Amino acid sequence: MPDRHQTKSKYTTDRRIPGAFEGETVSRRRFMTASAHTAGGVAAMAFVLPSLAFAMGPIFEEQDQPWQDVGSTDEFDTETYVPKTITIASGVGEAGKSTVYMRKYDPQVDVEPKDQYNDFIALSTRCMHLGCPIRFVPAAGRFICPCHGGVYNFRGEVDGGPPVRPLDRFYTRVTSGGRVEVGRRFSVNSEIERFSPRDPGAPLDGIGQYLYPSRPSIRKLPNT
Amino acid sequence: MPKLKLPAPPIPLPKPLPKRPGAPRQTPVETATEAGISAVDWVDERTSLSGAARWMMFRKVPRGTNWFYTLGSSTMFAFLSQAVTGVFLAMYYRPDAAGGAYESIRYINNEVFLGEFVHGMHKWGSSVMVILIFLHMARTFFFGAYKYPRELNWGIGVALLILTMAMSFTGYLLPFDQRSYWATIVGVNINGTGPLVGPYLSDFLRAGPEFGATTLSRFYAIHMLLIPGIMAALIGAHLYLVAKLGTTAPPWLKPSDPVKKEEKA
Amino acid sequence: MNKQEKESYLREYALMKQEGKPFFPYAVAKDGAMAAVVMLSIILMSLFLGAELGPKADPTTTTYTPRPEWYFFFLFELLKVIKPAELVQLATIGVPTICMILLFLLPFYDRSPERRPERRPIATTAGIFTICAMGYLTYLGAHAGPPTQIDMETPPALVAQGGEKLEQFEAGKQVVTQSGCAACHKFGENGNDGPGPDLTDIAARLPEQAIARTLINPTAPMPSFQNLQEEEPEKFDAMVMYLSQLKGE
Repeated sequence: MPDRHQTKSKYTTDRRIPGAFEGETVSRRRFMTASAHTAGGVAAMAFVLPSLAFAMGPIFEEQDQPWQDVGSTDEFDTETYVPKTITIASGVGEAGKSTVYMRKYDPQVDVEPKDQYNDFIALSTRCMHLGCPIRFVPAAGRFICPCHGGVYNFRGEVDGGPPVRPLDRFYTRVTSGGRVEVGRRFSVNSEIERFSPRDPGAPLDGIGQYLYPSRPSIRKLPNT
Repeated sequence: MPKLKLPAPPIPLPKPLPKRPGAPRQTPVETATEAGISAVDWVDERTSLSGAARWMMFRKVPRGTNWFYTLGSSTMFAFLSQAVTGVFLAMYYRPDAAGGAYESIRYINNEVFLGEFVHGMHKWGSSVMVILIFLHMARTFFFGAYKYPRELNWGIGVALLILTMAMSFTGYLLPFDQRSYWATIVGVNINGTGPLVGPYLSDFLRAGPEFGATTLSRFYAIHMLLIPGIMAALIGAHLYLVAKLGTTAPPWLKPSDPVKKEEKA
Repeated sequence: MNKQEKESYLREYALMKQEGKPFFPYAVAKDGAMAAVVMLSIILMSLFLGAELGPKADPTTTTYTPRPEWYFFFLFELLKVIKPAELVQLATIGVPTICMILLFLLPFYDRSPERRPERRPIATTAGIFTICAMGYLTYLGAHAGPPTQIDMETPPALVAQGGEKLEQFEAGKQVVTQSGCAACHKFGENGNDGPGPDLTDIAARLPEQAIARTLINPTAPMPSFQNLQEEEPEKFDAMVMYLSQLKGE
């Protein structure tokens, strides 16, 4: 007849549970350990998650960009760019303004198809390398960035230096009263196709548009 | 390794004898000294901090430590100076991008008593701190002081270096002059060039797709609460490890031969 | 570092520590003196250099030349030096991240027990090289003038001559600056190094007629200045005259 008495404790001493003492069941100590971790974790998450979500909220919130009047149609021609000031962020006064360079669409110069949003071309003054303020030099017909040596041609395409894509643009439209309005910003690749706005430094050709995805906070107009 | 012995805890002093009749009266200085000692004793009885203080202050430092070894402590000193001047600047500063920030700095510079001086100390202190932390790192590197057993402390030091650079970056948006604004635009866009996460990271830093109403307060909170808090904690850990592992000896020094030493004696 | 080397280091270090002096007051005295020097230099810098506040932030500007604080000059110059657009991410994120990782992991790939700098030739050379590279980039960054002005000296012979020639030279300089030549060409410390060639000493390489020919009939992507020659010949002549005086510094 085999010995029915257990020679080893079925409890803790032989099961290498740290700190356990004989007679205490494994399940009890395990349960207490698990509840200590859970309670601590829940308590920590209870303040970490809401505050993190609070701080990250603006990433997911779409910002509205109303159409803004910048002048009448006869202020702009096809020869040169006219700087105009618009507001791109509300509530910060002067700090939310930006300059756009505007001219009329010129079928001899512009390669992109004409539609309702590009009667007038509005280029952003942010260099597409890292966002420095570019300047239009009429004598050379070029945009020059004072920071790291970016140069753009008359159409806003990269002529030299480190910028990764052509200058960003803004939607424009003409009201029935003959006024030009500027809307949202959009980014373009080297074929001047429209993309949702990206930050400077994000290329849009090839794999770039997937490596630097569009963000929920700012989008181009649908179907354009 | 033979464990280094900590100094033995102090043996309680024998109780003072009762005063002899006719002994001279205590001078006020003696009374004050005694009061001070008993106050320290009172705290020590309840905290046992004297052991820690003894461990920290009376640990031995190898022979041959020279002026290069003061670079770490002076970096910490620069950090303390930044913390103090920063707190006082925060009393006048308003993180308001619509004009308040620039105005408040102008007010500090032109109207507040010693305003430009304290502002200047904070501004130049940051340069000094950056220089000192790089020199301290160079000393550690060339003396091989990052090697066993101090690898972890080297890691903490690198984290402190990066945080110091992050402090300088978040700090110079705050005056909100031209240089601040454009440097921040460029800096945020540099962060944005990280593939996949970059665009979201720069949205997070700016609190939106463009430089907006809460960008400045975000930078302000990071500059004066988040990073200094982490830095203070890391400096504490850095110091603890220095005290625990000991200051390194200059690499070309060797211990004198114990046999020879005995002969000398 | 194997176990034996670790133990021998710890033993040696314990001996050296025993021979040492207490941290307080010997090391603390030095630390205190150094802290006083540091504090004094901060105070002196604050007193003499002040805390200048620049013009108010203006996001609508098209004329401001952004420059970082001096301790970011090395990064600024790195961004300038790495020209091809495909490598922008390498300059902005790549190099700094790699440097940080290399720094963090230093004790894990440099595992030799040797500590004396002269017996660690690779580490010491790498360290000195890094310091020199950062110093050089900082120096270049500090001297990078904006491409919207030219700070080169007027040739002394011309100054001595004075009169009409000098006037034409100054007028030409103005035309060159306003035409944005410096966006692609270097003029001394101003302008960008490329895509176009360095013009600091163009006159030493090209005669005046050749300069004029190139301006009218350039190789792409340089724009032609034919319009300028036809519409405002005096401006064009001044430009050619200015360029033909650049013989280097």
